[in-house]
Amino acid sequence: MTTPYILMALLGGAALLLPVLQATAVERFNRRSAGYFTIAVLLAALAIVLYPVVSFTAESGGPTSAVFKSDLMALFFGVAVLLVAIFVTITSLEYQQDDPNISIFYSLILFTSLGMTMLAFAVDLLMIFVAWELMGLPTFILVGFRKKDPASSEAAVKFFILGALSSGILLYGISLLYGVAGSTNLYAVVDAMSTLSPALMPMGVVAIALLIAGFGLKLSAVPFHMWIPDAYEGAPTTVSTLLAAGTKKAGFVAAIRVFLIALPLFQMDWTVAFAVLAVLTMTLGNVAALTQRSMTRLLAYSSIAHAGYILMGLAVAPFTSLGIVGALFHVLNHSVMKSSAFIAAALVAYKAVGTHLDSYKGLALRMPFTAIALTIALLALAGVPPLNGFWSKLVIFAAAVEGWPGVWWAPWLALAGILNSAFSLGYYGWIIKRMYLDEPSQKSKVIEPIIFRIALFIGVLIIIVTGVYPAPIYEFARMAAASL
Amino acid sequence: MIELDFPILSALIFLPMIGSAAVLAIRGAGEKVIRYFTLAVSLMVLILALLAYSPVLQSGVGAEFNYVEGPITWLPSLGGLDYLLGMDGMSAVLVLLTAFLSVLVILGSWDLIKERQAAYYFLILLFEGAMMGVFTSLNLVLFYVFWELVLIPMFFFIGIWGGPRRKFAAMKFLIYTHVGSTIMLLGFIALFLFSPSHSFNFTDLVGQIPFWLQVVAMAAVFWGFAVKLPVVPFHTWLPDAHVEAPAPISVFLAGLLLKMGGYGFLRFNLGLFPDASREFASFFIILGIITMFYGAFVAMTQKDLKRMIALTSVNHMGFVLLGAFTGSVIGISGAIFQMFNHGIAIGLLFMLSGYIHEQAGTRDITLLKGLRKNMPRTASLLVIGSLAAMGAPLYSNFLSEFMVIVGAISTDVRYAVLMLVPLMTVAYFLWMIRRSVTSQPTEIRKHDLSNRSTLALVLYIVPLILLIIFPFLVLNVVDPLATVYTNSFLGVTP
Repeated sequence: MTTPYILMALLGGAALLLPVLQATAVERFNRRSAGYFTIAVLLAALAIVLYPVVSFTAESGGPTSAVFKSDLMALFFGVAVLLVAIFVTITSLEYQQDDPNISIFYSLILFTSLGMTMLAFAVDLLMIFVAWELMGLPTFILVGFRKKDPASSEAAVKFFILGALSSGILLYGISLLYGVAGSTNLYAVVDAMSTLSPALMPMGVVAIALLIAGFGLKLSAVPFHMWIPDAYEGAPTTVSTLLAAGTKKAGFVAAIRVFLIALPLFQMDWTVAFAVLAVLTMTLGNVAALTQRSMTRLLAYSSIAHAGYILMGLAVAPFTSLGIVGALFHVLNHSVMKSSAFIAAALVAYKAVGTHLDSYKGLALRMPFTAIALTIALLALAGVPPLNGFWSKLVIFAAAVEGWPGVWWAPWLALAGILNSAFSLGYYGWIIKRMYLDEPSQKSKVIEPIIFRIALFIGVLIIIVTGVYPAPIYEFARMAAASL
Repeated sequence: MIELDFPILSALIFLPMIGSAAVLAIRGAGEKVIRYFTLAVSLMVLILALLAYSPVLQSGVGAEFNYVEGPITWLPSLGGLDYLLGMDGMSAVLVLLTAFLSVLVILGSWDLIKERQAAYYFLILLFEGAMMGVFTSLNLVLFYVFWELVLIPMFFFIGIWGGPRRKFAAMKFLIYTHVGSTIMLLGFIALFLFSPSHSFNFTDLVGQIPFWLQVVAMAAVFWGFAVKLPVVPFHTWLPDAHVEAPAPISVFLAGLLLKMGGYGFLRFNLGLFPDASREFASFFIILGIITMFYGAFVAMTQKDLKRMIALTSVNHMGFVLLGAFTGSVIGISGAIFQMFNHGIAIGLLFMLSGYIHEQAGTRDITLLKGLRKNMPRTASLLVIGSLAAMGAPLYSNFLSEFMVIVGAISTDVRYAVLMLVPLMTVAYFLWMIRRSVTSQPTEIRKHDLSNRSTLALVLYIVPLILLIIFPFLVLNVVDPLATVYTNSFLGVTP
């Protein structure tokens, strides 16, 4: 119950404190220590989130009239987004070390982490919107953080305009829903909806459509995906990690809560919509990824494809309990896999090897550690066993198959998903091929900084351990789904 | 059913895997140390495999799963997802083949692989462990994990140590087989969700699957197995992969990787989907016959010795598919026996093609002339290997092909047309021998195999001759299983 408030005080307080500390104590408070301070705060936040899980004091299911609900679902997403924030901060220690405004950078990361965690806990539509904005606004600045770099600024402007649009659409949907139901609490909305007069039904449908569009922008679902590759490419690569693995995942928690708690009456309306969105999203993501020449753009499209797999789980959620479990499991796994891949890409870019795919040629000889870590992350993204991505995809595809005979299209959804997944090995494999089979244009060894090595090692370790022994995280996801 | 206190199957899987990790740990110790270490590990695995094999042979319990380990729960709340291993007659034969060929491949790599040896032997042992896992897993997800794990070493083998078009071949191999495997996984998921036992465990599923689900799952897993076997028209990755792969890896490809497809067809179609298999047997038999004839015809037209041998294995693996669906004891045990014999005979031929390429600088059959004079040892071994592969009665391949054809004819006399296949095989092998072995050399340039290589190659011939004299060494293990499969295929309760 108190977890979100503690987090608010901790993350918010630290975020406010950081610039003050730098301004007042320049001598003793150098750049590195701002980073270490941020990592410590995030680790403390992670411990606070994990405490109710390991002590079994998380709130169990059932409606609540409060603004927050610290159930396992919230804690699960809290773990996922905080892990990503920690990865991003660790790599920023090195990646952003020449930046003059480094305290602001970390402060913004803390603010967006706060927004993401609040979003996980929120069960009130207004709180969801506030957290949504708290998560979004710092990322607009982070994307444009290198203000001298035109690509970065362009990405930030694009991202901002679409982000503002999505917020507007979301808010409009929320206000319509409030008008129909007379409350902003999700559970109160459920009660109101079950006794809704048929005359107001069309209004409810419009509200859902607006919510799908609003969330869709952040989730990178087709057709709201256009901003993603530009933003990821223009932003500092560590920030792209945060966007791809962090804020997008937080968007999913809001979508799951709103659609599964508040709108069971419209099941048929949104499951088909989600199924179509899922197939379109993953197919477009995979096909577009195949044609990319830049690593960050490729990873951006791959993350669009993965949003499609997660949407698949949501689409069949009303028909099988595996749907949400698979979606949650994949959210956490994808956070780790995508973070690791982006960190490796950030390192390659940072060492001025380049972001063009051809600069990955022969990388195994120049940066052996990065190459092996990236290979494992990419294989995990492709769903090759025994790595973590395999298991969550297995659960999602199983969920899709189990949707039959509830809905006739479920096995076809599974087939579309599995073919997409198989197809994706095409471009992931192509990168591995470049790294290991092609000759490098330069033979010189590239130094791999220890900080990046640590981050990559932790990421790969989580990928492999979860892959070999998936039971704990799967159970966590299962109980989180049951806590809804 | 044999039980042991010692987890021998886990040891078969994880001893090579631990060995492969150890290779990385000692990679600074020099190439010679690494080679001897890898050889020692593979010999230990071979001893373990023999220790596992001989009790199954002696007590004639090939029909059941022996040395069962587990079930150890892997994912508790997804029911029936366990770590479960077991070894029946077919597993025993293929495990022995894996262990035997791994030793020979390591010996054969001695002279042929010169680059990045630590990585190479690391992958060799990883591959061996994964193969063992494929042949002993009794849980569908565990099976899939090992099945996919095989791909990764093979991708690097072809891609790093292969010929000029190695990158293309490696990618083609990876994507082709991966797509087939994922569709297979969909079949496994359907089995898990819709079977009454609601389990991924093979032992829980046997005899529990309704007919409609058998058909659906069979249609899904077909893709995985058909690509691996390979069944025409899903074979196009194979000539490319074989031609580009280094010779020892071709031994792995033809000797073991293709057997995964045969194993899958026998294990799943006969073990799990007997009713659907009976219903659609003619479809598979026709596919098998097409594969055999197509492989033989195309092999005949090849100029590259290695490509010819690769297509020979398409031809020979057709026998496995055919034998499996004849629904007769002799056909099914012939199919399993054929997998063993083909693995060894084709291994010998691929190694020879590697040595010939290394010493003569070409594998073009029309350019290789007078091997008899220039490379007498190679030439003799090539003749012996060809005799074995074409099914001459001196070698056990004769017996297994004979068994499959008898099995086929016993179901329908019209399958007598199959007698043409060995005839064609004989024709193109003899033609190859005439052109490259017995022809007059254009120049006299003597160069031949080293003693160690000769010894390593002679080792391939030993089991082939041994098994034509004492075929019961394999058939006693396989026949009980073939009887069970035949009964379930024919719908007879014994």
